[in-house]
Amino acid sequence: MKRKNTAKDEDLENKMETLHPSEDEEESAKKPKGSKKTASTPLGEDGVLRPLKLSKGELYKAPTVEELNQLKEAESLFHCSLLKMQMEELLKEVALSERRKKQMDSFIQQITDLLKSVPETPVVELSDLSWLSESGIDVPFVLVSEESKGKFHMEPPDSVDMIGSYPLGTCIKPRVSVDLAVTIPASILHPMDSINQRYSRKRALYLAGLAQHLSTSPLVGPLHYSCLHGNRLRPLLLVTPSGKDSNSIVLRIHAIPPPDFLKPSRFHPQKNNIRTAWYTGQDAAQGSSEPPTPQYNSTVVGDHLPRSHLQFLSVHCDQCPAFRDGVALLKVWLRQRELDQGAGCFGGFLASMLLSYLLSTHKVGKSMNAYQLLRNALHFIASTDLTENGITLAKNPDSKAPSLPEFQTAFQVVFVDPSGHLNMCADMTACTYKRIQHEASLSLQFWDDPTLDGFQALLMTPKPMLRTYDNVYQLNDLVKMQAACKKLSLLSSLMDHSGNYVLAVLPFILSLLQRGLSDRIHLLAYSLPQDPEWSVYGEPPMHKDQPPVSIGLLLNPERALSVLERGPAADSPEAAEFRQLWGSRSELRRFQDGAITEAVLWSGSSTCQRRHVLLKIITHLLELHADIPKSCVRYVGGQMDDVIKVKEGRTGEEESLKVVQCFDDLSRKLWKLEGLPLSITSVQGAHPALRYTQVFPPVPVKLAYSYFDREKTCRALVPQKDKPCPYYITPIKVICHMEGSGKWPSDRLAIRHIKAAFHIRLGELLKQEHGYTCRPLPTHLDVWKDGLVFRIQVAYHREPQVLRESVTAEGMLIQRDNAEAQALELETQHKPFLTSTLHGLQQQQPCFSAVCRLAKRWLAAQFFSGDIIEEAADLLVASLFLQPAPFTPPSSPQVGLLRFLHLLSTFDWKNNPLVVNLNDKLIASDYTEIKNHFLASRESLPVMFIATPNDKNVSIWTKEGPSVQMLQRVVLVAAESLRVLEAQLINPNQKQDIRVVFRPPLEAYDVLIDLRPKQVPMLSRAVDPPNTTCHPGTLDGDAVSSGGAFPVVDFDPVKLYLSELRDAYGDLALFFNDPYGGTVIAVLWKPKAFQPQPFKTSLMKARRVDVTEDVAITVPNIEAIVQDFRIIGEGLVHKVELRTERWVV
Amino acid sequence: MAAPTKKNASSACVIPGGFTVLSLKFCSSSTVQHQLCVKEHRVRAETNTHRPLDRTLFILNVPPYCSQSVVKDLFSQFGPVQDVELREKPAVAEDKQPELSPYFTPAQKKCFKVAYVVFKHSSGVAAAKAHPYDSPLIVSTKEKPVDTGFKKWIHEYTQSFIKPELLQQAVDDFMSQYDKRKEEEVELQKKEAEEQQEDEEGWVKVTKGGKGIKSRPHSEGANQRALQKEHSKKKRKELLNFYSWQHRNSKKEHIAELRRKFEEDKQRIALLRAQRKFRPY
Repeated sequence: MKRKNTAKDEDLENKMETLHPSEDEEESAKKPKGSKKTASTPLGEDGVLRPLKLSKGELYKAPTVEELNQLKEAESLFHCSLLKMQMEELLKEVALSERRKKQMDSFIQQITDLLKSVPETPVVELSDLSWLSESGIDVPFVLVSEESKGKFHMEPPDSVDMIGSYPLGTCIKPRVSVDLAVTIPASILHPMDSINQRYSRKRALYLAGLAQHLSTSPLVGPLHYSCLHGNRLRPLLLVTPSGKDSNSIVLRIHAIPPPDFLKPSRFHPQKNNIRTAWYTGQDAAQGSSEPPTPQYNSTVVGDHLPRSHLQFLSVHCDQCPAFRDGVALLKVWLRQRELDQGAGCFGGFLASMLLSYLLSTHKVGKSMNAYQLLRNALHFIASTDLTENGITLAKNPDSKAPSLPEFQTAFQVVFVDPSGHLNMCADMTACTYKRIQHEASLSLQFWDDPTLDGFQALLMTPKPMLRTYDNVYQLNDLVKMQAACKKLSLLSSLMDHSGNYVLAVLPFILSLLQRGLSDRIHLLAYSLPQDPEWSVYGEPPMHKDQPPVSIGLLLNPERALSVLERGPAADSPEAAEFRQLWGSRSELRRFQDGAITEAVLWSGSSTCQRRHVLLKIITHLLELHADIPKSCVRYVGGQMDDVIKVKEGRTGEEESLKVVQCFDDLSRKLWKLEGLPLSITSVQGAHPALRYTQVFPPVPVKLAYSYFDREKTCRALVPQKDKPCPYYITPIKVICHMEGSGKWPSDRLAIRHIKAAFHIRLGELLKQEHGYTCRPLPTHLDVWKDGLVFRIQVAYHREPQVLRESVTAEGMLIQRDNAEAQALELETQHKPFLTSTLHGLQQQQPCFSAVCRLAKRWLAAQFFSGDIIEEAADLLVASLFLQPAPFTPPSSPQVGLLRFLHLLSTFDWKNNPLVVNLNDKLIASDYTEIKNHFLASRESLPVMFIATPNDKNVSIWTKEGPSVQMLQRVVLVAAESLRVLEAQLINPNQKQDIRVVFRPPLEAYDVLIDLRPKQVPMLSRAVDPPNTTCHPGTLDGDAVSSGGAFPVVDFDPVKLYLSELRDAYGDLALFFNDPYGGTVIAVLWKPKAFQPQPFKTSLMKARRVDVTEDVAITVPNIEAIVQDFRIIGEGLVHKVELRTERWVV
Repeated sequence: MAAPTKKNASSACVIPGGFTVLSLKFCSSSTVQHQLCVKEHRVRAETNTHRPLDRTLFILNVPPYCSQSVVKDLFSQFGPVQDVELREKPAVAEDKQPELSPYFTPAQKKCFKVAYVVFKHSSGVAAAKAHPYDSPLIVSTKEKPVDTGFKKWIHEYTQSFIKPELLQQAVDDFMSQYDKRKEEEVELQKKEAEEQQEDEEGWVKVTKGGKGIKSRPHSEGANQRALQKEHSKKKRKELLNFYSWQHRNSKKEHIAELRRKFEEDKQRIALLRAQRKFRPY
C-alpha cells in the first residue's frame, strides 16, 4: 500500500516537473487573453464592479507550489493580497519610465560636458562682480555684509558627479530632479574661507559663473536659482532643457568643495565660524567669547559629504533588494503630509538614511519587502524621540568628532551621518519632528485597523494643512519678525542663520506658543517655509516676501475652548514663571475650592465666542514676548460661524442644548402622567434639533398676539392675510411608544383611531396637570411649552407589522413589505434610534453639532437638501468623526466642513458603500459582509449607499435620493466649493467672502421663481440676510412656560408652495430651493417629459394636444404651466423669470 | 397658441380618439389656457351606480386649483350637475367606505386630475361636448372667486384645527362600529365552533370551513419557521470534520477562498488602474 503511494507521488512530481516549463509558456501565452477577459467582462463599460464568477474547475484545481507560496505570502506578509497589489501599482505609478531615464541621461551628459568646458577668468577681488555684469546674471546670495576679503576666479570644475536620489534609484515622480555635484577646484578656495561666509560666497559666485556659461548654450532653457531646504547659504542652479521637455526634467547643480578640503573638526557645533564684529560691522568688545554657530557649521560640513553619503547609501541599497521601493513608499507618505520640502523638512535623503540606519542596526531584515520596511520605519519614528535621544550612523567616529550629547545641546533633533561630523537634522525643529512622530503613530494605528482601507487613507490621500488641522493661524507680515529678533535678543541665532530672521525666530515662537497653549492642544505644527526659486537674472527674493507661515493646531476638545487658564498657587515658585509668561493678564484669583492661584481669564460666553480664545492667547503671547502686532496674525476660518449664526455671537450650541433640556423635561412629565388607559413605554426624540443637528435650532419665542387672527373653535392664532408671514415655529417631533397590549385592535384603521384617541387624552392630561396648550389631531398632538412646540406622535410597535399583513384568498396570512409600512417604521423606529445614537456621538465629540449644521447649511444653500435628506447628511458628517483616517476627528466647524466637501467630492460611490460605524457595533467581518452584499446587488441599491449597524443592506436614508444626476452635480459643486474655499482661506490677498460657496449658481436652471421676501418666514436665516432682521409676530423677552393661545405652527408658505408645485408638475420639472430663507425657486425642466407623446388618457397632465394628420400627440402646455406657477403661488410669487428657450417645443 | 385643428371658428374641437377639447382659463384676464379633454364616460363593464353611462362626462387634465365645487360650477352651464368625482388617475370607482369620518380620510394630492361629472340629464353631456374651443371656461369669476396661494394656505391652516370633542366623537363612532363588527365575528366563530361540536347523538357536522376562521392559524411566517426547524434538526445530526474527506474538502475550500479573493482583488486593481486611481497626487 505504502509503496504504491510513494510511487504515485513520485510519478506526480515527475509529471509536474515535466509540465512546468510548458506551463510557463502556456501561462505567458494565455496571459493577454486572460487579462482581456477580466477586463472586458466584470468591469463593464461604466466602470462598475460586478461580482466575479469563477468556474468550479478553476477554483478547485490542484494548486502549484508557487501559487501556494504566493497566496500564503500575500496573506501573511501583507494584510491581504489587495494591499500587495495596490502597493505594486503605486510603485509602478511613481517610478520613472525607461524612456524618461534615457532622455535624462543624455541631457545629463550634455550638461556635464558643458560644465567641464567653463572658460577660465582672471583673478579678481571677491567683491568685484564686474566679470559677471556683461551677461546680466546675478549672484544667488544676499550680501548681508558687503565687505569681504579674498580673491575669486572661474576655472573648470575638478569633477562633475551625480549625487542624491537619481543615481541611487530612489527618485520618484512627480518633480523628478537630478542632483549634479560640481566640485570647485581647490585653487579657487583658500583654507581660511570657512570663516565669515567667505566660502559660501565663493560657492555662490562659482554657481553664477556656471550659469553665465550655461546661458550661452542653445541646449539650455531658462535658468533659475533655488536653495537647498531653504538654506540661503546653499544656493542651487536649476537647469532645464530648452524646448518641449523643459517641464519634465530638472537638473539641480550643487557646487561643492573638493573632498577633505576643510577639516571637519573646525565645524564642531560648539565652535564659532562667523565673527560678531564682521557680521554687525562694529568692533566687538574684546574678550567676550564668540557664540557658537552650529547651523552655519553644519551647512559647510554638509557640502563636503554628498559623495560619501551616496556611497554609503548605495552599499545599503545593494544589500536590501526592497530598499528602493521602501524609500519610494516613505517618500510618498512624507509628500502626502507636506513634510518632504522646505526648510527643516524630512526629505527623501533623510528617508533613505533612516532606512539605512534601520538596516545597519538590524531593526529591519534585508529580505523584508517594501511594505514591511515602511511599517518598520514608521514604527521606529513613532517610538523614538530624536529630540531627546539622537541616533548616529557613525560606526567608529574619529576622536575629533563631536559626541551625541554635544550634538544634542546644539540642535533640537539629532541624526548623525556616517562620518560622525554632521547632524543631518540640523535645521529641523522639535515641532516638526513631533509632527512626524504624530503622523507615524496615527498611520500605524490606522493600518492596524482591519475595517479600514489603509492604503487609500495613508498613501493616497493628501493631507494639506487646512484640512488636517483644526485651527490654522497665519503669521502675515514676516518683516515684523525682525523686530521679534530684536525683542528676543537673538543676534547670535540670526548670525548663525546668516540673517534669515524667519528661521531664526520660528523655534522661539513655536516653543512660546507651545507653552502658552499647553494642554489645550494635542499638536502644534507649522508649514515649512518653501524653497524660493528665482531667475538667474534677478536678485534673490527677500525673506519678508516669503508666503506667510501657517501654524496649525490639533485641539484637545476638552480643554481647548476653556476661558480659564488656572496657574500655580500664588506662593509656589512656579508662580513667577507663570506671571512672566502671561504678563499683565495674570491675576490672583480665589477659586471655589478655596485655593488662591494665579489665573488668566479670557472672555467669551458662548461656544462661538470661545472659539476665539485661542486666537486671543496667540496674539497676546506674540505681542507680549515677540513684538508681533495683532494685525499680523490671521485666524483662518472664523468667518464660517456667521453662516449658522442664530443670534449675534451665538452659533446655536447653547440653543440646541436648551431644546434638549426642554424635551427632557417634557418626557419626564409624560412618564409621570396618570390616567392613561395604557402606559407609555418610551419617549424618544425624532427631530434633528434633539440630536443637535438642526441647522438653526428652534429658539423659544414670546408671541405678539395682536399680530394674529383668532381661530374661534380652538382659541388658536392664525396668520393674517394682509400681513407678512409670521415667524416660523418648528414643531419638534417626539415619538411616544405605548405599551403593547391585547386591547390594541389588529386593524389598521382601528389603530389609527385609537392613536387619535390617545392624542386627545394626552392633550387633556397635559392641559390639566401642567397647563400646556395643546392641539390634538388624528396624526399627532402639538404641545406649546416654554416657547417651543413639540409634536408628539403616539406609536404602537406592532403597527408596521399590521400594515404588512394581509390575508390571501386561501386564508393564508402573508406578510408583504409596502411603502406605507416602511415609512411608518422609518418615522417611529429608525429616526428615534438615529436621534439617540447621534445624541450620544455629540457627547463624545463636542464639535459634531457645529460641523453637521454647517455642512447641512451648505447642502441647503446649494439646493441639495431635497435630495440628500437631513438624516443622510447627519450620517455623512458622523462618518467624518467615526472614521477620520488619515486625519484625527475634526474639532472645529471649519475643518469639518472642508473634510465634508472633500468626502463628497472624492468618495467613489459607484464601487464603495460608506460604512458608518455608529456605536462601534460593526466588526471586520460585518464590513466584508456589507461589501459583498453591496457588490452582489449594486444595480438595485441606491446610488449613494450608506450602511449603519442597524441597516447593513438597504441604506434607508438614501433610498429616495439623490439620483445619479443629482449626485454627479453634488460631487461637482462640492469639488468646486472646496477649491474656492481653500484658495480663499490659504491666501490672505484674495477677496475674503466665504459666503461665495453658499451662493448657488443659477445659470443652469430654466425658470426662476422670485418670491416676495416678506412672505418668506425664514428670511433672517438666509445666506445673505437683509440688513434689518425682524421676527414678525414675536416680542422680545422670555417665553412663557405654559398656557396662552396656541401659536401658528409649521406655517411656511414656501414649503406649501413647493409641495403643491411638486405634486402638480413633478413629472415635468424639478424644483429647487434653499429652505433657510431662500427667496428664489429654481426650476429645471425634465428633458424626457418634453418629447412629444401620442395622446393617451393616462398621459394628459398639464399637456396640450396637437393634431397632425389624424394623429393626436401631446406636449407640455408650457405657457399655461408658467402661468400656473403664478396662480398657485398667489401672494408669494414676486415674478417668474424664464431663463432659457429650451422649453419651446 | 397653436390650437388643434379648427374647422370652424366657433364649433367644438374634436380630436382623434373622440375627445372634445375645451379651453380653460383661471380668470378672465389670464392670457393662456389649459386644455380639458372631455368625452362621455364609456367603459365596457361599469358596475358602479355612481357613474351612469349616459349621464357621465369624463374629463381629462383638470388643473390642481379646481376643487370639486369649482368643477361643479364650471359644468353647471351645460346642465344641472348631480355629482362630481375627482381622481388622480382614470380608474374604476371604488365602493366608498361610508363610515370613515373626514378627519381620517387621507389628503388628496394636488395634481392634475381626471373628473367624472354626473349630470342630472344626459343632455348636459352633449352640451359640454359641443362647446366651442374658443370660448374658454373661466375658473375664478367675480361672483365666485377661487382662492389660491397665500390666502388659500391660511384658509387651509385655519381649517386644520379640529375641535377635540368632534374628533373624539368621530373616534368613538368608528370604534363602536368596529367593536360591533368584531363582536359579530366572534359570534360567528362561536356559532361555527358550536356546529363542530358533537351533538347529543355523537354526530359532528362537517362544513366547508368557508370564511377561513379555522384556517387562519397557518400563516406564512409559521410555515417558514417550521421548515427552518426541520432544517436545523438535520444539520445537528451531521458530523463535521469527522471523515478524512471532510478535512480534505475544507482545505480545498480554503484555497478556493484565497483564490477567489485573489481574483476579486485583481479585478478591483484593474478597475482602479483603469481609473488612474494610483496617482498619489
